Amino acid sequence: MMSPAPSILIVEDEYGLAELLRDMLTERGYQITLAINGRLALDVLREREIHLVLTDTMMPVMDGSELARTMRSDDRHRRIPIVMMTSLAAAVPSTTGLYDAVLAKPFTPDALLKVLEALARPLE
Amino acid sequence: MNSHGVPSRRSTGVPGLDLILDGGLLEAGVYIVQGPPGAGKTVLANQACFHHAAEGGQAVYITLLAESHSRMFGHLRRMAFFDESMIPASVYYVGAFSTLESDGLPGLLTLVRGIVTKRSAGLTIIDGLVSAQETAASDRDYKKFLHELQILADLTRCTIILLTNAERQSGFFPEHTMVDGVLHLTDELSELRPLRHIRVLKLRGSAPVRGLHSVRISDRGIEVRPRLETRLSPGPFEHQLASGPKMGFGIPELDVMLRGGVRNGSITMLLGSSGSGKTLFSMQFLAEGLKRGERGLFFGFFEHPDAIVAKCRRVGINGIAEGIENGLARVVWHRPVEGVIDEIGESLFDAVREMNPARVVIDGMQGFERAADLPERLSDVYSAVAQELERRQVTTLYTTETRALFERDIHVPINGLSAATQNIILLRHVEHKAAILRALAILKVRDDDYDPRMREIRVTDDGIRLLDTLADASHLMAGGGVAGAEQVPRQER
Repeated sequence: MMSPAPSILIVEDEYGLAELLRDMLTERGYQITLAINGRLALDVLREREIHLVLTDTMMPVMDGSELARTMRSDDRHRRIPIVMMTSLAAAVPSTTGLYDAVLAKPFTPDALLKVLEALARPLE
Repeated sequence: MNSHGVPSRRSTGVPGLDLILDGGLLEAGVYIVQGPPGAGKTVLANQACFHHAAEGGQAVYITLLAESHSRMFGHLRRMAFFDESMIPASVYYVGAFSTLESDGLPGLLTLVRGIVTKRSAGLTIIDGLVSAQETAASDRDYKKFLHELQILADLTRCTIILLTNAERQSGFFPEHTMVDGVLHLTDELSELRPLRHIRVLKLRGSAPVRGLHSVRISDRGIEVRPRLETRLSPGPFEHQLASGPKMGFGIPELDVMLRGGVRNGSITMLLGSSGSGKTLFSMQFLAEGLKRGERGLFFGFFEHPDAIVAKCRRVGINGIAEGIENGLARVVWHRPVEGVIDEIGESLFDAVREMNPARVVIDGMQGFERAADLPERLSDVYSAVAQELERRQVTTLYTTETRALFERDIHVPINGLSAATQNIILLRHVEHKAAILRALAILKVRDDDYDPRMREIRVTDDGIRLLDTLADASHLMAGGGVAGAEQVPRQER
C-alpha cells in the first residue's frame, strides 16, 4: 500500500510567497495547508495531521520562533520537523536549535525540495 | 508631550529632513509619504526605522502589496544604515496583504493594533497604503480606517508613516485630510538629468521649510538637502563691511591700484577668459593672507588643488602647501560633474562655519551652475552665498569666466551675485603691437578710490607682476589695440 503524500503546513505572512510555495509543492504531490501567522498555524496543527512545518520568522500575532517553541513544548507536536525560512543571513546559525533546517531567502526550488525530501515523511 | 505640553518630535534619521520638518515628526503623528515608484519612499521609511531602533526604540514595518521582504533586504543591504543584527529584535517586518484580502480593513486594523502594542513600537510603517484604499468599500470606510490609526497612534504614542503611490486618477486624496503631514517625493528627468526632490505638502502644528528640496540616494541612504536659500545663519542681515585693514594681494602694483587692497569683508569678482590668470591671482590673494597669519579657504571645481599648488610653487606663490599642512588653509574641491547645488553650497557654508576664514576664494563660480537642478534657482543661490559670506564678514574673491578670449562686450555671467559684488577686476587677453598679452584692469571698487589704468600681467618665477606697458594703447578692451593716441573707429578696421 502506498504511503499518503506528506502533509506540509506553510506559515508565511507575505502574500504571494505562500501561494507560490503551495502551487509548487502541490505539483510535487505534497498536501499543503497555509497559515498567515503562528497562532493560526497552531489551530491547524490541532485539527489535522501535519508532517512538516515550513515557517517564516517575522509574522504578526505569533512569530516563527514562538510557534517553534510552543510546538517543542507540546507533546503532540514536539516531533514534527520545522523548517525556518528567513531573509536574515545572520539569523541562520543562532536559531538552528529550534529548527530542523533553515532556508535563507531567497532560496531555489531545488534547495527547498532537498530539505523536504529529507525531512517530510509521515510519522511512524 | 514634553513638560511644557508641546508634542515631542522624533528624528527621522534622514540628514536634512528634520530641518525641513521643523525638527522631525511628531510623536503619535500619522504621516503620508507619497511618490512614484523609485522615488525613495521605501529607503526613507527603512532608514527612519533603523534610526529609531539605533536610538533604542522599536520599529515595525508592515507591507501590503509591496516588494517581498527578502527583495527589500537585498536592496537595502548596501545602505549604510541597514543593520541586519537589529532584525527582528528592534526592527520587525510583517506582511499584511493576506489579512487585508481575507478580513478587509477591520482585519488589517486588528493586525496593526496587535503588532504595535505587542512590540511597543514607537515607529510603524505601512507600505502600500493604496491597497488599503482599494479594499475600502467607500471613502468613508477608508477615512474611518485612517481615523482609527490616529487613535492607535495617540494611545500608543507611536508615529505612523503610510507609504503610497502619488498617482491617483481622481486627483482627490481623502487621506490627506486625515493625517498630520504629507511628504511628496518626486523622481523626474530634466533633459537627460535625473532629479529627485521632496516637498512638504502638509504639516500640522509645525512650520516646515516649504518648496522643493533636493534628495540624493546613495549607499549612505537617503539625504535631503534643504534649499540653500533657506540655510542661512540666523539673525537679521544688514550689510556692513568689516572694519580693519584692507586685504592686499601681495602684488605691489595691484595693491597700489586698489589703494592698499580690497575692503575687509567685501566680495570681489575676478572676471576673465580661460588662461588669463584668474586662479593664480586668487591663490596669490590666499597666499598673502597666510603670510599675514589669516585663515584661508580655497573652494574650487575645475583645476585639481594639487595641480594648482604645484603651479603656484613654480611661479613663486609660496606658503599654500605649508598653510594646508599647518591648518591655516583648507582646500575644498568638488568635481565639476553633476551634483546637487544645495550640497555644494552647504559644504561651502560648513567649511566657512568650521574654520572661520578671513579670506575665501571660490574658483569657478560656474561650478555651481553645473550642479544646479533648476537654472532659475541660480540667482537665489548666488544671493544666498553672498549673504552668508557677508554676514560672516569673510573677504571673498570669486573667479568667473568670460565666454571668449577676445570680445567687445563683456558679459557678467553671474546673476544674483553681481549685485552683492563690491569690486570687479578684469583679466583678459589683449592684442597689442602684434602680440597677445594678458592685461588687468579694475572695473569697479565700491565707495573707494582706485587706479583705473590697465596693466600688463607678467607671471615670473618670482610671482605675478603688473607692468605699466599699456599706457599709450587704446581699444584694448575691444579685443585689439593700437599704440599711441590715435583713435580708430572699430568699423574701419
